[in-house]
Amino acid sequence: MDRDVVARVARAAHIKLTDDELERYSKDLADILDYFEVLDEAPGHEGVGVNPVEVTNILRDDVPGQEIDSTELLRDMKTYENYIRGPKLV
Amino acid sequence: MSDRDTLSKLDKINSVYGMFHDFGGEWTDDTEFLFSAKDNLTSKGFETCAGSRILEGYRPAFDATAIARMKEAGGQLIGKTNMDEFGFGTFSANSAFEVPKNPFDLGRSCGGSSGGSACAAAVLEDHVSLGVSTGGSVCCPASFCGTYGIVPTYGRVSRYGLIDYGNSLDKIGLLSMDPAKLSEYLPVISGKDPKDPTSCVQPELRIEHRRISSVAVPRESVEGISDSVKKAFTDALESLRSMGVDVEYVDMPQLKYAMPAYYVLATSEASTNLARYCGMRYGRQDGDLSLGFDDYFTSFRTEYFGDEAKRRILLGTYTRMEGFRDRYYAKALQVRMGVIDAYKAQFRDHDAVLTPTMPFVSPRFEDISAMSPVENYKADFLTIPPNLAGTPHLNCPCGYDGDGMPIGMQFVTDHWNEDLLLTMAEDWDRQFEVRHAEVKV
Repeated sequence: MDRDVVARVARAAHIKLTDDELERYSKDLADILDYFEVLDEAPGHEGVGVNPVEVTNILRDDVPGQEIDSTELLRDMKTYENYIRGPKLV
Repeated sequence: MSDRDTLSKLDKINSVYGMFHDFGGEWTDDTEFLFSAKDNLTSKGFETCAGSRILEGYRPAFDATAIARMKEAGGQLIGKTNMDEFGFGTFSANSAFEVPKNPFDLGRSCGGSSGGSACAAAVLEDHVSLGVSTGGSVCCPASFCGTYGIVPTYGRVSRYGLIDYGNSLDKIGLLSMDPAKLSEYLPVISGKDPKDPTSCVQPELRIEHRRISSVAVPRESVEGISDSVKKAFTDALESLRSMGVDVEYVDMPQLKYAMPAYYVLATSEASTNLARYCGMRYGRQDGDLSLGFDDYFTSFRTEYFGDEAKRRILLGTYTRMEGFRDRYYAKALQVRMGVIDAYKAQFRDHDAVLTPTMPFVSPRFEDISAMSPVENYKADFLTIPPNLAGTPHLNCPCGYDGDGMPIGMQFVTDHWNEDLLLTMAEDWDRQFEVRHAEVKV
């Protein structure tokens, strides 16, 4: 795969690659995509298997509740006044 | 070694085999049996890292449903087992932590990605371990470590509390040297769970001791396998015939498309699932919050994801991109339906499809490090089809090579027909002499 394409994909995936990594992943992904080419000759199918078994929506009654105490959930998170802290957006 | 002895010697055992990422516990009045679980299942009281540095320090506030149900049945969780990072591997060697060693030869792999679970099942007496299979991660390590391993139908066991790899592929299963334990504990962990909608469509798991009376052996499955595996598998077919099972060779040409389709779907799903790991909420959070969010997220993911995780994220991101999505992702979804159809066609005339589990015995670590990514992926060509199709499957030990390394065979039955597999495991165990590894402690 072209190095520029790998770099573009990596940016979209929030991963920074060194020059060496760009080179190595370009080759690896090219080899893997070559291997995937057999999919082009695979017969099509009218169905689309998003799940391997049929999954239908089953709705439950909406009952308010909290199984896990929020302080326990926040115990190992970086927080400020019980809000999860994150980087600045602007 | 009694269960109490096991608990007192865990430290020493783990120093030899490296099966646990985190472990410990005391025997209590409520303890009826001990079990372990793959480290991608959340658990109270143990760190849960899924083999990744990005989750270091994560101590969940809740148990995964499968773990909670084992505890409700009297089980005590004694450890979280080592694995490939997020399940990305065939040899448990893609881990940020310890790599488990094969109980039959410490210089070889346990298989993956539930390698630590297979190791625990093989080494600890009367033990049962929870594993997770996405593309073969229960049957592969079961084969390499000479244990039984069952993967139920997709949706049979709730995935609540499972750290996702591929949502449409992940299945929680069991590994043990004793097939009766699979029959005992599969009903424990199965069943509907409102916290996982995909578990809510299942019919009841009925243990009726139905027997497999005929198997279809795809000719494609015995091409490209090692001589020792071929011989053990051929001998196993003879044993099955002597048990009254009809064996018929068949053609299943669709299986050759399963592996590329699987890797497209698995990496596509993984690349979105792993977007949540960005230095907030779970595990590592020691970054500079004054950075902009793009730089902050990128710094964590760059530093703490391992090599194979990055490779699969890149691949999955690429195959979902505009312009490529139809060629790869949409086509892979169609191939999955074709593979399911191919299995269903065989199940009209046969109770199960049977293949070797892995094309070779467990390799040495130096041979694994010399393998290319494509060579690694190709090792899964026998375990991927049932995982892609969501059909239940079972590894039975069926032979040993000249060095004494275990060889396994894999039965696949139709959706929701785990009962046939459980009966086969127990029947097979009565007539095949399963070898136990010598415990070096």
